[in-house]
Amino acid sequence: MGCRLASLDWNIVGSMKLKILAAGITLLLFALVVYALGSTSPRADLTYVNPSGIHTLDPSRMSWTQDFRVALNLWEGLTTWDPQTLEPLGASAEFPPMISDGGLTYTFTIRNDARWSNGDGVTAQDFVRGWRRAIEPGSSADYMFLITDRIVGAADYVAWRIEAVTQLSALERLRDGWGIKETHAPAIARLPILAGIINPDGELSQQIEDLSIDWAGVYDDVFTRHVGELDTRFDHVGIEARDPRTLVVRLTTSCPYFLDLLGLPVFLPVHESIDLLRMRPEGAPITAEGLVVYDPQWTKPLYRRNGYPGLITNGAYRLSDWTFKRRVRMAVNPFHRMAEKMHCRTVDMLVYENISAAIMAYEAGRVDFLPAMDVPYDHEIARLSLSGERKDYYLCPVLATYFLNFNCVSDEVNGVANPFVDRRVRKAFALALNKKGIVEQVLRRGDRVAKSFVPPDVISGYTPPSGLDRDVEAARQLLVEAGYPGGEGLPPIELLYTPSDELVSQALARMWEESLGVGIELRSRESKTFAEDKANHRFMVARGNWYADYTDPTTFLDCLRTGNGNNDSGYAGARYDTLLDRAEAEGDTDKRTALLRQAEAIVVEEDFPIVPILHYATPVAIKPYVSGLYTNARLWFPFQSVKVDR
Amino acid sequence: MRSPILRRLRLGALTVACVYVLTFLMVIALPGNPFQQGQHHIPPEAEMALRAQYDMDNNWVYFWQFLVGALKLDFGPTFTYNDWTCNQVIASSLPVSMLIGLMAVLIAVLIGVPMGVVSAVRRRTWIDVSCLTLVLLGLSLPTFVTGSALLIVFSVYLNLAPIGGWGTIAHLPLPALTLALPFIACVARLTRTGMLDALGSDFVRTAIAKGASKRGVIWKHALPVAILPVVSFLGPAMAQAMTGSFVVEKVFGVPGMGQHFVNAALNRDAGLILSTVLVFATLLVLFNLFVDLVCAMLDPRIAEGV
Repeated sequence: MGCRLASLDWNIVGSMKLKILAAGITLLLFALVVYALGSTSPRADLTYVNPSGIHTLDPSRMSWTQDFRVALNLWEGLTTWDPQTLEPLGASAEFPPMISDGGLTYTFTIRNDARWSNGDGVTAQDFVRGWRRAIEPGSSADYMFLITDRIVGAADYVAWRIEAVTQLSALERLRDGWGIKETHAPAIARLPILAGIINPDGELSQQIEDLSIDWAGVYDDVFTRHVGELDTRFDHVGIEARDPRTLVVRLTTSCPYFLDLLGLPVFLPVHESIDLLRMRPEGAPITAEGLVVYDPQWTKPLYRRNGYPGLITNGAYRLSDWTFKRRVRMAVNPFHRMAEKMHCRTVDMLVYENISAAIMAYEAGRVDFLPAMDVPYDHEIARLSLSGERKDYYLCPVLATYFLNFNCVSDEVNGVANPFVDRRVRKAFALALNKKGIVEQVLRRGDRVAKSFVPPDVISGYTPPSGLDRDVEAARQLLVEAGYPGGEGLPPIELLYTPSDELVSQALARMWEESLGVGIELRSRESKTFAEDKANHRFMVARGNWYADYTDPTTFLDCLRTGNGNNDSGYAGARYDTLLDRAEAEGDTDKRTALLRQAEAIVVEEDFPIVPILHYATPVAIKPYVSGLYTNARLWFPFQSVKVDR
Repeated sequence: MRSPILRRLRLGALTVACVYVLTFLMVIALPGNPFQQGQHHIPPEAEMALRAQYDMDNNWVYFWQFLVGALKLDFGPTFTYNDWTCNQVIASSLPVSMLIGLMAVLIAVLIGVPMGVVSAVRRRTWIDVSCLTLVLLGLSLPTFVTGSALLIVFSVYLNLAPIGGWGTIAHLPLPALTLALPFIACVARLTRTGMLDALGSDFVRTAIAKGASKRGVIWKHALPVAILPVVSFLGPAMAQAMTGSFVVEKVFGVPGMGQHFVNAALNRDAGLILSTVLVFATLLVLFNLFVDLVCAMLDPRIAEGV
């Protein structure tokens, strides 16, 4: 029919134009097929799926587990982890390092055979470069706290740099004739001094009527002075490359889990070739706003500019190809000390936005490993795994907790009095919950009921407090004591959540309505609005979850410290903070653990700024012919020991 | 015709400019922090530095910088994908969406037009009823249902196509067909309605009276008139096929632009929102102009109005 139609059109219109049009469309289609489909390459030894791909391969900017997963195969820190037990092991540095000054100074010796993927030796200076990038404004992101909170002088350096960025941004605007904004407030107090209106003693050095300020000159002065001090200021940070193979790190306080941190992306080394792509406007090492900025293309394997040779890494693998939202291919780093022994020579990370399609591809044998199976029918996957029907489906207990935040800080929420400032109300709502029902009847995906914030049986040497069991009668009594007998007098309770939590939220609402007689208003918000409402305490009850950054209870407990940026409940517990401070200063491991346990007990047995609901279990699928790939509580999968006998 | 085309291009540019201003206003009015990634709230110091880096601390500067960049076809960085620019994101995904969209529209024309013609000619027969039923199904079934069904049947059971992903010609037919289904339905309905009108017209009666064959009347006389509404529909349809392919991309794991169109808004990624909207707005304007030109070729009376 189509042919008939085509021949007919030519006859009717009798025009060359339509023929040209058809030829043009055909040509366009052909060009699109060639360009859009791209080239194919042979299947990798191991293929796995990251549903949404990766956000960045810049170690200093990483925030997501799937990005970490790739980075930890491409780079190697001073330490790494045992893939089964998660105990720290040696990596680029000899292990264990020398620890002195009561646990405050760590001296690492870089291995002789630590090599970059171009054959260069890994040096201590490469670590200094990587760690400095992780805290410099312009190249840093949310995980910089791992360095600033622990290493001597790092927080001061960042504060000094940020102050300069604020001043330079404000001065740049004044120089260009713009007004300054509230974001520049920290700089405003210093502006009269910088401009020479007031001397450092606070005296007026110019007559107000003679006031004429050369903002361009002030800007140049501040900029030049700041650039001149950059390196000398950084010398005060406790990261020192004493010689090419010796790295000395000084900590502010003793940190028993420091070696556990050192495999994380912000602690990875960066090859010196990155300096070829550092933005140097007019030869300065920072931008006009005072930022340290690199050409963001530096993470591409084939990027060539200014002599840059493409991404160089020091892990077991090098990056061979990265096609946006399609594939990351890793190939063995030929200079890695394990290169000869590695069976799995190439690894493909494919992107499947639809996890169901990824599961189908796995079932059809086109994918060997699925590190996540977050699908609406995950309860069925859990059943298959727990019943033993599918031996290649694993349920990994993860170091992560799903909980509810109670707003402890705002007297009013959306114009309504917030009853959760009263500890008794929080406790009543916590005691009324049937967590077992949520885990076993609502979600049914093999998670564990949570009575503590820190998951039990995962962190070696730490046993969390036992928490409280469900007790509806006690909950009702607490409401009576708080002045809300039978829920009378309580305003409608707003429960804030994201659409993915609809089912659980409905169950929670039902439980509270039935057991406490309160009215619940469900408020579902898309993720960004949700995050903003939560961060600004615009909620009464909000769902929360936390995945451990490292294997220590403080990765959870620090979130509830007064003033912590992730303390969404706004909880301010003086006793709790004191116990955490004491734990931080405690050198004895057992005493430290006991103090942390006491602190956690305050949260989950007395004050209830949060109520833990469950500890996640994540389903993972690994083909039986894949060996050497182990599940663990942090879902990190090194591939260097993997063997695939397909 | 050159002058009218220039006039249409000028109007198109004005339309795109209006779209830019409105989108920008919506972007700055949106709640939510574009720099919030992962589970940690970003430290204020890091956020301040990022806002300074991307000129997000001054909306007015950002408005002009983005506009000047866009005029030079440089859409700047994305906040979500630190290592890629908006240009790279578009260059990697737009051809994919164009290919699937074009294929879907071609499939829609190749199946929908004959279906509409047959349905009109065999009006009120079982063929007509069958066609109308298929049209109804095509319009009512959401693409995530049809896509998943096609994926299970052709990829899992029959093993005739790869299960999702992208990279070979074999990855193309299922997403294109899924995306085409609602368009087939629209094209078939428009063709049927157009054909019914045309078959009742004087010029068709005249052709029959002059002894033209039934096939000749249908294909040579009635269809060229009946197809004009279909051609007009194809411009917006092409743009819709490209922007509306989010679900199809998700089901089949196709790395097209629809996902960025949606995810950029969810991530509050101002650069990517503005660049995808501008690209789609420009394409929509150009497709509409292109379709009007084709209509003018088919019917000289329209040329006067273009």
